[in-house]
Amino acid sequence: MTLKFAWYPGCVSRGACTELYQSMVKVTSALGFELDELKEAACTGAGVLHERDHDLADSLNARTLAMAEKRSLPVLTNCSTCQGVMSGVNYRFQHEEGSLERANSLLRESGEGYQYQGATRVTNLLWALAEDLGLDELRSKVTRPLTGLRVAPFYGCYILRPKAHLEMDEHPERAELLQPVIEALGATFVDFRGQSKCCGFPILTMNRRNSLSMAGNHIADAMANGANVMVTPCPLCHLNLDAQQPDAEGVRGGGLGLPILHLPQLIGLALGFSPKDLGMERHVVPALDVLTHVRTAAAVSA
Amino acid sequence: MLQHDILVMGAGLAGMRAALEAQRHGADVALLSKVHPVRSHSTAAQGGINAALSEGDSWESHAFDTVKGSDYLGDQDAIEITAREAGPDIIELEHMGVTFNRDETGRLGARNFGGASQARTYFVADFTGQAILHVMYEQIMKANTRVYEEWFVTDLIMEDGACRGVVAIDMLTGRVEPIWAKAVIIAAGGLGRVFEPSTNALICTGDGMAAAYRAGAPLMDMEMVQYHPTTLKANGVLISEAARGDGAYLINSQGERFLSRYAPNKMELASRDVVSRAEATEIQEGRGVDGCVLLDCRHLGEAKIKERLSQIRELAHDFAGVDIIDEPCPIRPGMHYQMGGIKTDVQGATPVPGIYAAGETACVSIHGGNRLGANSLLETITFGRRAGAAAAEYVKSQPGPAGNGEWSAMVERRLVGLLERPLRRRSAAVRLEMGRIMDRNVSVFRTEAGIQEAWATIRELRAVYPEVGVQDKGKVYNTDLFSALELGYMLDLAEVICAAAQYRKESRGAHFRTDYPERDDVNWLKHTLAYDSEGGPRMETLPVTITQWQPTARSY
Amino acid sequence: MQVTLQVKRTDADTKESSWQSYTTELPPAGTVLDGLLQVREEQDGTLAMRCSCRSAICGSCNMRINGHARLACITKASDVSPNGAPIKVEPAGNLPIIKDLVVDFAPFWSKVRQVQPFLQPEGPPPEREYIVDHDAMVHLNPVMACIMCGCCVSDCTALEVDPTFIGPAALAKAYRFVADPRDGKQKARLEMLTQPSGIWDCTHCFECVQQCPKGVAPMDRIMATREIAHQKGVWSGTGARHADEFARTVGHSGRLNELTLLPFSVGVFNVKAQLQLIPGALRLVARRKLPSVIHRSIPGVQGVRRLFHAGKNKKEKVTATR
Repeated sequence: MTLKFAWYPGCVSRGACTELYQSMVKVTSALGFELDELKEAACTGAGVLHERDHDLADSLNARTLAMAEKRSLPVLTNCSTCQGVMSGVNYRFQHEEGSLERANSLLRESGEGYQYQGATRVTNLLWALAEDLGLDELRSKVTRPLTGLRVAPFYGCYILRPKAHLEMDEHPERAELLQPVIEALGATFVDFRGQSKCCGFPILTMNRRNSLSMAGNHIADAMANGANVMVTPCPLCHLNLDAQQPDAEGVRGGGLGLPILHLPQLIGLALGFSPKDLGMERHVVPALDVLTHVRTAAAVSA
Repeated sequence: MLQHDILVMGAGLAGMRAALEAQRHGADVALLSKVHPVRSHSTAAQGGINAALSEGDSWESHAFDTVKGSDYLGDQDAIEITAREAGPDIIELEHMGVTFNRDETGRLGARNFGGASQARTYFVADFTGQAILHVMYEQIMKANTRVYEEWFVTDLIMEDGACRGVVAIDMLTGRVEPIWAKAVIIAAGGLGRVFEPSTNALICTGDGMAAAYRAGAPLMDMEMVQYHPTTLKANGVLISEAARGDGAYLINSQGERFLSRYAPNKMELASRDVVSRAEATEIQEGRGVDGCVLLDCRHLGEAKIKERLSQIRELAHDFAGVDIIDEPCPIRPGMHYQMGGIKTDVQGATPVPGIYAAGETACVSIHGGNRLGANSLLETITFGRRAGAAAAEYVKSQPGPAGNGEWSAMVERRLVGLLERPLRRRSAAVRLEMGRIMDRNVSVFRTEAGIQEAWATIRELRAVYPEVGVQDKGKVYNTDLFSALELGYMLDLAEVICAAAQYRKESRGAHFRTDYPERDDVNWLKHTLAYDSEGGPRMETLPVTITQWQPTARSY
Repeated sequence: MQVTLQVKRTDADTKESSWQSYTTELPPAGTVLDGLLQVREEQDGTLAMRCSCRSAICGSCNMRINGHARLACITKASDVSPNGAPIKVEPAGNLPIIKDLVVDFAPFWSKVRQVQPFLQPEGPPPEREYIVDHDAMVHLNPVMACIMCGCCVSDCTALEVDPTFIGPAALAKAYRFVADPRDGKQKARLEMLTQPSGIWDCTHCFECVQQCPKGVAPMDRIMATREIAHQKGVWSGTGARHADEFARTVGHSGRLNELTLLPFSVGVFNVKAQLQLIPGALRLVARRKLPSVIHRSIPGVQGVRRLFHAGKNKKEKVTATR
């Protein structure tokens, strides 16, 4: 399996979560990935653009997929939402007659010469770890096993549903992939009810109370089951779970305080990077000392 | 005290249409159902609803097809009314909001169906019954009709020979209450669970027919039980005639379209009794595949199947493990519909004052010895409407209730008896025994000996019914209790079916006796009537009403 | 094959819950409903559940199987218990429990009633049928296929935290009228649906799309309703501004500008909401997380801008295409 990808970092990793971009660069390199960044690719629309102008959103994504197609590379994302949107677009192009043609017709009018044939594979760091790199290979690269770190996974809706878009029939293990990844890094997997639910980010502006209740419930759930850290492959979830955690705590009346890591950050720690290497000083809920939970002979690097 | 002008027992299509009509005529109406209205079995009707609406079609043609389909047992005055009023009734459904299929001009577009001389079946993909049922419930919500939701009827209240309401159990609290009404319209559906297997839902236990029978109303043509040609072996679930209507073939183990030997003109779209007998013969003579024949849709193409037969495709996939786009689906005849029922006139009135009936529960008779596909949805609408109007007129001259407290006390005593007796037998086991003997002996091909054996078994089961106990002693949602009550209804009806099948000594429509294989218009151009009496069903006959079409040989 | 069902029972009077385990034999293609019925008929007549048609058309047997709402009659036991593991069976979520697997649907139907769930044509009906496009009727087939089973409502994430949310079933039903060319109340419906607790409160989590056994895809209908609302100018409030600002920044620079997104979404003149955003913004500043004030466009943004321009110019059909 190739480890060469057309990298689609998405908007948030270059905006409010630059620590994600930073850790992706370091960690994928350490794992042997070769990334060709699609600098000219635009936002996927995060589903929001689709509900305002469906065909335009489809064609905006077709443009990105066509870029990767030109390079004959699969797309690698680091965001559940980007994954879900692009998978949905690919699925529609395959199953809904006329949708690909409509998208290409709009692309022709933009004059850049992109035409999407429908063949680009879209994957993300979580899936790529298991399906392209292999969990055994990942395990072999671990230099600091995260023993003692109790990690609660939070997937993000777009990487779990709808199953048809995400090829879960062919890859049923994708529904619970964070568990073997967490365990491959030496950490303890914490099972809790909210891990496959919604973080509330999409309605943060429309219904703030509901949004923060959702985030708060899941964090509290994870903590009640013994987690000392949460990991998520979606930076939008990260924003609601980390940046909004103090406000979520306000809605609940206290009792939160769980550091939230991006997936490459968790991996990076196991590969020997320091929290500072991985931009963890930028988290709203302090995360710099997560390694104090790790029982290991190696010293925690500053 | 609970009271209304009209109480409609059953909130499927016939019941809801009756209620709406009666309300329009100014009556105070309430619906009563043991399930939420949209869970009624009308929802399972797949293929469509008939009417002579298109250019070049005529109600006479529709009527004749129905008369012929009924094997000349249908009452032709009732059939003429049905065919004449079908068009306006369907237009009204469309106005209510049903999303019928359209042709390229934007008008209602029809598909072919069994026994029809031209395409006159209007449809919504392959879930027409569900579409119409939900639209009808929308109208009920709009009209704010009172619904006694999840109430179970135990008795019709009879006083001075007239019906004055029902006694029912509120399933959510266990409370027994009389609901007084000047008229009761029974629209409680069919009795499929008397047979095992059956396409029918678990709720189709003939409650309405049995309650009316016990109250003195005659049940007509009960021997006319329709076996639908295409049901799944695994669980008896229906695969709609729409597949054949849209061009699917029936083939045997040799790949032959065997209907060419039984119905060379209409082939797969002959009447259901003809097709079912053809299939049963092929299977019996060794040309079946694992007890089935094959429904082949492959040549219809993926696009057509996805647009018009999507539900069928799902059912075949879920329960037979085949994708009809690529493979033929094994099917066989299965018990599906009761042509017979409570005898009514063309206004939906039964011979018992205060009892009206419509839909599958009733027998007007429109379907006679065999029902054409897509005529049953039509019947529910047309005769639901007529019964509603007739009942609304009737109640204008009726006095209010006297409010006799004896009724609920009597029912409560009976229920206590049922709840307290020891659990020697479970109702499900008895039902299974009844269902299996009925399916074996009173199905597509019948004999005197077979019918007698079934009847004897049913009598034995009736005798052991007092041993059927109930494990759940609670008041709230006691499904164990309701199952036992339903079994009582079903045993009554099973006996009636056996008696009627034994009584009619000829073959007509769905009733085929190998000892009387010919149709006998001299002696048997009559309906059978069964009355509840001490020693069992007492049988009488009633001549068929002929208007224009004298019986002739029936071939497809 | 042997099947073990772990059923969450709830006493009808005390409302106390407990788990009860049953084992029964099923044929290879046996469903969870087959198993439950066998248990009820042969072992425990006190087990209460709703079921009727056995073929996913009546909608009665909605229950949570292994944590997800499904119709028990089409859930194969072998699919949800690959190695013979016990199958967890619980009542549907987000609705009050009456007894065992029977839940109270009254709140469900009251939400459906809220959306005026009946056709309201303008003026008297024609003598014959309304003339409507074949495709317009076929487009409604997936949403007409809704059997009101409540699987979507059971697993709706928004309903879990907010019982006032109208919910996926009622909103899908509402779409069926919004998109029906014969209905004369589209604008009024859209105005009602864009109120609080309506289409803008859907948290976009796909649970209803995933759990629906009939392919209705309620969330997609909700999004389609938003799109029609946009086309018809029923477009105000936070959700609409959010979508507008999103489209504006992406259309202009090729990527999202988080700095402007939140303030513009809540409304620039909405002082209370703007003040509410300040603590969060300050936290981001403190962590150097706040996106740069200078919002840089992506390389090749001209192509994106032309694409947006082309999209705006395309005069699409009034009804949403999905």
